[in-house]
Amino acid sequence: MNEELDSQLSAMFDDELPQGECELLARRLARDAALQARWSRYAAIGAAVRGGDVRIGGRVARKVTVALAAEASWAERYVIPPGGGRAPARWWRPLAGVAVAASVAALSILWLHGGLSRAPAELVARASAPSAPAVDTPASYVVPRAVESRMTVPATELANYVVAHSEFSTPVSRRNLLSALMASEPAASVPPEPSAPPVGDPNHHADPAH
Amino acid sequence: MSADVSDLSLVRRVQSGDKGAFDALVLKYQHKVTKLVMRYVRNPAEAEDIAQEAFIKAYRALPQFRGDSAFYTWLYRIAINTAKNAVVSRDRSPVDYDLDMQNSDESYELQGRMKDAETPEGLVLTDEIRTTVNAAMDALPEDLRTAIVLRELEGLSYEEIAASMDCPVGTVRSRIFRAREAIDRRLREVFEGGLGRAEELG
Repeated sequence: MNEELDSQLSAMFDDELPQGECELLARRLARDAALQARWSRYAAIGAAVRGGDVRIGGRVARKVTVALAAEASWAERYVIPPGGGRAPARWWRPLAGVAVAASVAALSILWLHGGLSRAPAELVARASAPSAPAVDTPASYVVPRAVESRMTVPATELANYVVAHSEFSTPVSRRNLLSALMASEPAASVPPEPSAPPVGDPNHHADPAH
Repeated sequence: MSADVSDLSLVRRVQSGDKGAFDALVLKYQHKVTKLVMRYVRNPAEAEDIAQEAFIKAYRALPQFRGDSAFYTWLYRIAINTAKNAVVSRDRSPVDYDLDMQNSDESYELQGRMKDAETPEGLVLTDEIRTTVNAAMDALPEDLRTAIVLRELEGLSYEEIAASMDCPVGTVRSRIFRAREAIDRRLREVFEGGLGRAEELG
């Protein structure tokens, strides 16, 4: 055994080693069984000099090691900043999961709404060509049939999203979202009427505002 | 030298996932913590269980340890709370413990030792260690013995020892190391297997 290393170990045991050397030696001490045995004997010598019962307490280390063997180390459970600092607490993990799930749900809803709001304009463009005879029909009154056919795709994708992120979402929000999807499914599966021309709403036809 | 630097280095290593560093902390403090717990419960086996529980609690609480206080202060607080809780939960007061015994320290110590499950071998081991350490201490040169006694018994820092012995801090460090090495050598000679049985100390 290197005498200088042992001397450092003795000084470290007394908290008298400079910090830089301490960190290097701490790394080695954590891995080197022989160094740990020597470190342990230094502790026992101190206990004996102080008149303590060396035997009592000497077995604690083994018991603790065995008890902690099954526990994951902190690195496996927490991310500690390299410079030390306060370790993140556990509470943010479920909240982060909920936040992710909520973000996905919100984005999906916004996406659906975006699809819905874009749909009439597309339908107007699409419908206006073949239905030229219906000249008096205001574009804003076109029945948005195509929206229903578009709904099937986003609903499926949304369902995939929900399933993929279900581990992060709470059971209540997951159930709500799935219920909404199921409720929208029959409407989406209704096939478009075969020969229904893009006609305006007769109830609104005489609206003087348009 | 700022106090607790070595403990803090080990604590940081534990916080970064190095369990071996926690072993080193336990090895360093197991005797002190168990002795502290023995002020609340006199049964050595129970004291060891409580000390073990305290160390496990400390390990789990280490992410909350920021180094504002010394590690051992923090650890001792956990140990004291664990011991108090154990006493309360078992509805046992340290004062009331076996009132039929004389309440002298000697009787408590004897009682504690006799209650240990490993009594025969354990007592021999303890006595051997004590005898060996005392003999090794007596055999030390005066300057080495003074240095290790001031450190281990009085808890003085190297700087304080240097002031009291009128020598440089480096000399104190060297003397304490040499004293430990001399005692350790005797211990390992006594326990024939070299490191084998001497490791029982830890």
